[in-house]
Amino acid sequence: MPTAARAIRRSLDAVYDGAGALAALCLLAILIVISAQVVARWTGVPFPGSSQYAGYLMAAASFLAFAHTLNRGAHIRVNLFLTALGQRRFWGELWCLVIASAASTYLAWFAVRAVYWSWRLGDVSQGQDATPLWIAQTPMAVGAVILAVCFIDNLVTLLLAGRDNIRPDLSQQSRAE
Amino acid sequence: ETWDMPLAYPATNFHSENAEQFAECVREGTDGEIDIVTHPNGSLFSGDDIKRAVQTGQAPIGERLISAHANENPLFGVDSIPFLATSYEESDKLWEAARDKLEAVLEDQNLVYVYAVPWPPQGFYFKKEVNSVDDMQGIKFRAYNAATARIAELAGMAPVQIEAAELSQALATGVVESFISSGSTGVDSKVWESLTHFYDVQAWLPRNVVFVNKDAWDGLDEAAQQAITECGDQIAAEGTSKSEELSGGYLETLAENGMTVSPPSDQLREELAAFGKTMTDEWLESAGEDGKAIIDAYRAQ
Amino acid sequence: MDQIYAIGLFLFVLFLLLGSGVWIGLALLGVAYVGMDIFTTRPIGDAMMTVMWRSASSWSLTALPMFIWMGEILYRTRLSEDMFRGLSPWMARLPGGLMHTNIAGCTVFAAVSGSSAATLTTVGKMTIPELRKRNYPERMVIGTLAGSATLGLMIPPSLTLIVYGVSINESITKLFIAGILPGLILAAMFMVYVVGASQLSKSYQPIAEPAMTFAEKVRQSRFLIPVFILILLVIGSMYMGVATATEAAAIGVIGSLLLAAWQGSLSASTFFETLMGAARTSAMIALILSGAAFLSLAMGFTGLPRGLAEVIAAMELSRFELLMALMVFYVVLGCFLDGISIVVLTIAIVEPMIRQTGIDIIWFGIFVVLVVEMAQITPPIGFNLFVLQGMTGHEMNFIARAALPMFIIMVLMVFLLIAFPELATWLPANMRPAAGG
Ligand code: NA
Ligand code: NA
Repeated sequence: MPTAARAIRRSLDAVYDGAGALAALCLLAILIVISAQVVARWTGVPFPGSSQYAGYLMAAASFLAFAHTLNRGAHIRVNLFLTALGQRRFWGELWCLVIASAASTYLAWFAVRAVYWSWRLGDVSQGQDATPLWIAQTPMAVGAVILAVCFIDNLVTLLLAGRDNIRPDLSQQSRAE
Repeated sequence: ETWDMPLAYPATNFHSENAEQFAECVREGTDGEIDIVTHPNGSLFSGDDIKRAVQTGQAPIGERLISAHANENPLFGVDSIPFLATSYEESDKLWEAARDKLEAVLEDQNLVYVYAVPWPPQGFYFKKEVNSVDDMQGIKFRAYNAATARIAELAGMAPVQIEAAELSQALATGVVESFISSGSTGVDSKVWESLTHFYDVQAWLPRNVVFVNKDAWDGLDEAAQQAITECGDQIAAEGTSKSEELSGGYLETLAENGMTVSPPSDQLREELAAFGKTMTDEWLESAGEDGKAIIDAYRAQ
Repeated sequence: MDQIYAIGLFLFVLFLLLGSGVWIGLALLGVAYVGMDIFTTRPIGDAMMTVMWRSASSWSLTALPMFIWMGEILYRTRLSEDMFRGLSPWMARLPGGLMHTNIAGCTVFAAVSGSSAATLTTVGKMTIPELRKRNYPERMVIGTLAGSATLGLMIPPSLTLIVYGVSINESITKLFIAGILPGLILAAMFMVYVVGASQLSKSYQPIAEPAMTFAEKVRQSRFLIPVFILILLVIGSMYMGVATATEAAAIGVIGSLLLAAWQGSLSASTFFETLMGAARTSAMIALILSGAAFLSLAMGFTGLPRGLAEVIAAMELSRFELLMALMVFYVVLGCFLDGISIVVLTIAIVEPMIRQTGIDIIWFGIFVVLVVEMAQITPPIGFNLFVLQGMTGHEMNFIARAALPMFIIMVLMVFLLIAFPELATWLPANMRPAAGG
């Protein structure tokens, strides 16, 4: 592989895994927010908007982890047909990646548009947090764009190298020994 | 043309029934040109999303508890200033004073106001007898927005944030000991299983507003617009009297199930009115000139 | 006619996309897009984002990653191993022997974890090697494990019940309470099956356990203490008014982190692994839920659910006929979809029918969980089958056949539930959490 291609490969993987790590941090933040909400109730100190913040973090955690989850083979699919294809599996994978690239690009486009419209309309949360929604929704749009990039990346890799980047997580396999 | 109409509340709620009658009226009034199909219970869009959905044309018409959008514009919260307009009569006056300004705000958001119907008035649910603000000290009170949090603060109660879906459980387990809502909420959630007293303080009468997407509206001929407006006026009047009638029934049901249902003591009423004054002043600070004009017009009546 | 065309089109696109191996969430998105495109002039993409954002940022759903995370922590630390050591002395003398640890372990762990897969991996990893060592029949080891792990969904806390409760806007607490008794009865039925099979089957020749005095058994039981503390913490916080159902999941995470740290089995890298594992699993579910949210919006615009409900209503099925029809419907669906997708996909269609027939909506939640449990172990798509395939290396059809008796027991349980609805309705009606103060 030429150096430039390797550099692109490395930086794309870094983006997917970096977003995945961010998603993990969001989960940790959900834990902290919910715990703080419980403690706030015990102590009588108000924590306005806590459940909204937990919700935003939930959305961020999901979308930011999409691409990383894909390349670890953790997004589920029906494998029967692909397995049945045997030698011709390439064409099945190609079909799936074309559909998925189109669908995820569509999702990414409208996720970005939703953020734009939240900003244009000045839409704010109806909860006590009163957060401008474009701020809360930005991680969702970022995650959706990364997912689309990841699918297209897989499609291109499949076409160039005959095999996509999706590898089931080794640690998941070893646990199943 | 079919108009899908998202509604937030179950099909059996009287607001949803009103909307269904409105749909029927419009169908007749436009000779079937506009066929409004209601989607109750948040089955199309959830309550939180209905206004934005209609604004952006995702649905041509919808209904929303308008005060939920007070974060966006304080004018949306005019019907929910606590202890300002504390009866159907006063609430109607306040709404009349505010209506032009609200219609203008909605129009700026690409929405055309059609009609509004008030919920039964909000009262306090407690676990003990409460005759004054002193009796409220330290009670765990459900605060679900800025105004209810402020009430807790003024009354010295401990605000507790609980989502509507978790309210019943929170009451049963003592996470929450008090909240403010209409009689219908109490009946729906069988509140007598956990709480004992209802004080009919009529703190405010929030309204559900029905609006149409402006582009969809502009696409109608004048006769159709006329028909929709007339149906709206008719349903608003009928809905308001139905709300008042139901309100009495809910309080009876609460009493039948062993709750003590009563108006506030004179002392409590006075103390709450003082909160009303404070919170109206605070609202006026945020609502600017338009807010001042509304409150002045209301008080002049 | 329009309706039949619509159903045909939906099914065609659904099977085309799902069947050809498109990732499930995106396949649902594709189906929804086609439906919206044909049936409404509304802006499709904007409406899609409205409902996806609502579904993805839902407060009640935050319990989902928390329970998943808790399962990851338990699995990757010593907590789960200890449970086998504590349970086995008590099971050894029962007819059927240590095979019961599969069922008892799953039942106990089900009370902590909200998911079937977490229950299966955690319990299976400790019981399979031990039972193999003792010469228990492989097929029954796999079968009972596949079946009883589904109790993770029935015995509270339960992800499926959370999703169901959120979809129909009913009390999750009531649903949780309703699941307790049917869950225990189902566990008992599995145990009766093990007792029967152990007496009848010639291949059931396990190596006998060394006799243990009562004092020794009690001493071994200390290994159960950490897990019991955790169970008390999660369930207690929920029913004592310290936390709501959603918050209890977070308390479970903190509890298991503390226990793991106290046992010395929590390193920084384990912690990071549990967190990344939880992030992936919940992202996987979130993508499906997002697609399903869009699909149900599209269904709303097409008017299909309403039409279908009207058709079935017009058939004037009796309560029993309707439930039988729905059981078949769900079992067929369960061959292709996982539990949570089944619930979110169908509930909008089914809920009005149920309410109209006068069926208790809480009871129906337990019915749905039961059929969803069956879906976990039916091929070609059954989560528990997948997990077991990875764990044991057996072929899918071996595992599915091994699990078949469990499937039949669950069908029996459905009839039991229909004959005695009180199994699910009595507790929620009579067991109210003590009002605090
Ligand atoms: Na469980
Ligand atoms: Na299945």
